[in-house]
Amino acid sequence: MTGTEEYAGLLLRADEWRGRAFTGMSVAVLAPGREAAVIVPEVARTAREVKVFQEEPDWLVPWPVPLPGPLRRPAARLHLRLAVKDPWIRRRLTPDGRFNTRRPRVDGRYYAALQQDGCTLISWPIYAFVPEGVRSAEGIEHHVDCVILGAASVHAAPSIPAQREESCA
Amino acid sequence: MSTTFDYDFDAMLQTIKDKQWSLADIDWDAPGAETMTDELRAKMQPFMADLVWIEHVGARGFASLAKKAPTPTIKRIYEYFHAEEQKHANAELALMKRWGMLGEDGKAPEPNINVKLAIKVLDDYGDTLPLTGLATLIPLLECALDGALVKFLLDEVSDPVCHEVFRHINSDEARHITVDFKVLELIGAGPLHKLLIESIALLQPQVVLGLIVVFTPLINKMRDNIVAMGLPEQKLYNAVKRFTTIGSRGDYTSRIPAYHVLRAQAAMVIDRTSPYHRLLADPMVRLTSFIPAKVLGKPQAWVEELTHEPIAS
Repeated sequence: MTGTEEYAGLLLRADEWRGRAFTGMSVAVLAPGREAAVIVPEVARTAREVKVFQEEPDWLVPWPVPLPGPLRRPAARLHLRLAVKDPWIRRRLTPDGRFNTRRPRVDGRYYAALQQDGCTLISWPIYAFVPEGVRSAEGIEHHVDCVILGAASVHAAPSIPAQREESCA
Repeated sequence: MSTTFDYDFDAMLQTIKDKQWSLADIDWDAPGAETMTDELRAKMQPFMADLVWIEHVGARGFASLAKKAPTPTIKRIYEYFHAEEQKHANAELALMKRWGMLGEDGKAPEPNINVKLAIKVLDDYGDTLPLTGLATLIPLLECALDGALVKFLLDEVSDPVCHEVFRHINSDEARHITVDFKVLELIGAGPLHKLLIESIALLQPQVVLGLIVVFTPLINKMRDNIVAMGLPEQKLYNAVKRFTTIGSRGDYTSRIPAYHVLRAQAAMVIDRTSPYHRLLADPMVRLTSFIPAKVLGKPQAWVEELTHEPIAS
């Protein structure tokens, strides 16, 4: 696998995307759901196109309402059901309850941002970086002007990709 | 009673990551497209369309398997396989484009009614099927359809780009078959009571009906298409036989009841004199051909992710 150093465009790590305008740019966001939920709504406000390479979905609830433990997931599931109409997008935003035991995060903007024009949810695994962008396992090379690498992304630590991925799965 | 089964799925996952390839690796304008004569093009067009859709159905099957995978590593492997099947469909679509088999819009051709039924049923029920059922069905589909169809194609077409593409695809498929049967071994080595409970859960009407209405005519329809092209159906049967051959090599696969059911069906499929063809499969092909596509509702969103463009910008 070729690492992030192959990419010749603008590469922003962790929080470097904050406070920037992406006017006219096509942007790839590489992050698990909990992090993409923070990045995507902000970036989608200014970017021409956002490709969200979501690595692992997480549960989200729209408001910080204190809910007892057993009600948190049903609330998050209801939020997803109401916010996303398309069953295939919804399926890809649903965490695997067997391996993902994180508590739902509070975020009410991610699902809406994902469904706005110019925003695409892509769940194919990325296997390489090339000078123009990234290559994903469905055989397509995605060319973008900017790559935002979330701090929790499996690609954030290129020297130990296997272990990172293991702990996130 | 449960037994232990040892296989390094982590090493397999690493191999899968190392062996990734992209449509952009292939020179789609390289010489050789002229070997596709008008006569061959007319003959191959419906066949290629079937092939694209079968890969796409396989992709959806792996997406469901990922939801059922027994470990995070196997889940990740299935996610890669889902993407790889999509890649195969994309690459075959790109070959169709190269050979001038796509319309002006470059869109994938319509699937036949049996493929449409398979897409619909897999989309509606795939995620709710117990692991034993799906994990047994997918390798049979892969052996039978993928294996046989790809062999035909390479015998018929001399375009070097086609052969280059299928070298990649076959190498991916070999890994898919390996993992499919290793997972069957892993399931078979599990506790017997779990195998029995999951097998009883498989006896739901929608599963049994799905097998009869969707899967049975799917294989026979494919056979009819192959025969219509003037090719020997024996090759399809040889491919189906692989399912039994590889399955019987395992120590624990035979403990899975679903494996025995599908093996019995595979045995009937390859026996042309079996009443299975006369009384069930062939009438089902005819019956399903009367189903209007409209009753299946609008196409699933994942169907629109197919593309023949190596680069998306």
